[in-house]
Amino acid sequence: MSAGDVRVLVVDDEPQIVRGLKVILGNAGYRVEEATTKREALDAVSSRPPDAIVLDLLLPDGDGVEVATDIRRWSQVPIVVLSAVGDERQKVRALDAGADDYVTKPFGSEELLARMRAVLRRRADDGDAAVRVGELEIDRADRAVRRGDEQIHLTPIEFDLLSQLARHPGRLVTHRQLLEEVWGPGYEDQTHYLRVHFAHIRAKLEQNPSNPTYVITEPGIGYRLRVDL
Amino acid sequence: MKSTRSRLSWSRIAAMALETLVWVGLATALVALLNPITTTAGLGSIYLLAVLAVAIRRGQVPALAAAVLGVLFLNFFFIEPLHRLTISDSDNVVAIGVLLVAALVVGRLAAQSRQRAAEAEQRAEQAAAREAEAAMLADAATAVLRGDADVVQGLSNSLRAAGAGELRLESSAAPQAREGERTLRLPTRARSVWLYAGESSEWTETDLERIASPLARLIDVAEERKATAARGAEAEAARQADAAKTVILHAVSHDLRSPLTAIRTAAAGLREEGTKPQDRIALIDAIDEEAERLTRLIANLLDLSRIEARAVHPRTDWCDLLDVISTAVSHVHNPDAHQRIQIELDGELPLVRADPAQLERVFSNLIENALRHSPPDQPVRVTGGAGAGKVVVRVIDRGPGVPVAQRDAIFKAFNTGDQRGGAGLGLAISRGFVEANGGELRLQADSPDGTAFAVSFPLVEQPATVG
Repeated sequence: MSAGDVRVLVVDDEPQIVRGLKVILGNAGYRVEEATTKREALDAVSSRPPDAIVLDLLLPDGDGVEVATDIRRWSQVPIVVLSAVGDERQKVRALDAGADDYVTKPFGSEELLARMRAVLRRRADDGDAAVRVGELEIDRADRAVRRGDEQIHLTPIEFDLLSQLARHPGRLVTHRQLLEEVWGPGYEDQTHYLRVHFAHIRAKLEQNPSNPTYVITEPGIGYRLRVDL
Repeated sequence: MKSTRSRLSWSRIAAMALETLVWVGLATALVALLNPITTTAGLGSIYLLAVLAVAIRRGQVPALAAAVLGVLFLNFFFIEPLHRLTISDSDNVVAIGVLLVAALVVGRLAAQSRQRAAEAEQRAEQAAAREAEAAMLADAATAVLRGDADVVQGLSNSLRAAGAGELRLESSAAPQAREGERTLRLPTRARSVWLYAGESSEWTETDLERIASPLARLIDVAEERKATAARGAEAEAARQADAAKTVILHAVSHDLRSPLTAIRTAAAGLREEGTKPQDRIALIDAIDEEAERLTRLIANLLDLSRIEARAVHPRTDWCDLLDVISTAVSHVHNPDAHQRIQIELDGELPLVRADPAQLERVFSNLIENALRHSPPDQPVRVTGGAGAGKVVVRVIDRGPGVPVAQRDAIFKAFNTGDQRGGAGLGLAISRGFVEANGGELRLQADSPDGTAFAVSFPLVEQPATVG
């Protein structure tokens, strides 16, 4: 699927933002459609399902979180939400409702396009051999991690965590998703596991753990593997 | 104020009769002494002395009794025929008649003057009592003017201090008298106040009623004064808030205006057809940077409004401080500055309980503040360690330091001492977030390493992890 075939639905009621998004996404090769209300958005998604949705959380006739919740009942279309600055709770609500990622308003075009690429990237199958990020190679088949020629030894849990990020390179993986995938149901609130293990992963992976380049922390929300290296 | 009521008791009558008898007896003895050397008619006037004495000491009725008794004694003992109540000489009849009339008149006059004296004494006593009351009320008024927090309690205390210990005041909806106390409701306008008089007190109902009214007025005045003062304080607070708002609006509009001006100028430059391509890129960068500045300012204003409204609501979680600090560093806007930031934490710091996103804002602000205030060739160090029940992270710069006079003010939003940091919100936000998360942010101004801002959190028992 080339970018030209990818249809993105922009749901926002601010004309200037929609105009800007159309230019940015259009220049990147996406076909852009727009909806300005919750109702229009749901109609558009059900009549002509897009390949991705950019969803503002503040709509004139409702909350973007409700739109995400509704869509997730019957569609797995990737959703990137536009959230207000500093509102961590709202981001978490949207992500819990099924949104895939977020950008914080006001955002730069590079940031938005990176998120779009990440959510549209085909999910790496478990059978996929390896994911490369800069010098880092995560070999899921061999359960091995290399940085350049150097073999990096991770514990099984550490590898599982990194592997979860590598399944969706560039994409946000929330605390809840990580805990559920690696430890299983019932561990969703044990975020300190993540703190401890990611500190260890960084110590092993990063040249300078205090300036991490591979694993990015989204404070209070989750982690992502950086791809744009 | 003392009870002036007197009752004619049998013992008083007996005492009166006895005294009358004594005086008349004394007069009779004197007459008996003088009888051999003077006339009977002249002797009668001696009884007049007894009548006078009784009249002065005991009043009119005993005086009359003394007169009658005197006449009878004179007649019986000294007038012919002796030892009989008959009179043979007409001269003596006249003498006795004159004596009787004189005794009546003198007795009456003496009794009247005696009564006047008694009345005067009573008035003097009452006047003294009123004076004491007035002094007591004046003391109470002083207490009211002094503005005691609890007017009623203050009044009650000053009553006790003025010697009226058996009186007390209490404010309550219903009277709550102690045993044996008399109760009177003060005629106050607003609060319901009760006056209690102890069992043993000499205060009569009338006395209590008399002082109730001025006490009530004092309480009303005090309440009114308090209400007025409160209204004044409110008005003053509102005025100060207005002034602060003006300062804030001034600072904010200045900080909003300069990036907006830059953006509009850049947009105008882009519209010009003659603008060279490399200049276009510079103008676009300018728009981007200025928009970024606006974004930061608005984020700061939002954070600050949340802090000031006490609506921080941290989402407390386990925080890895190295993770939080390196995320904060990655958000520093000037990429050249990244080289200057040295993170030197002691091994693995214990996890702390806080909202990671808010903590990230704290360290972003502290690090940017440190970068701004230190020379471009000097590093900004972030050190950390745990001990003494605390986990402490210090952000240290080698800038000129903070003047002593500014050391409290720098933590206040919109403080004017720090012009370089724009509206000066960073430290206020940092402290607000740290405190809302149960930590402390302190300036360590005289550290040998430079100026340090120390963030500390309680060292808590670490959670068990499953490997």
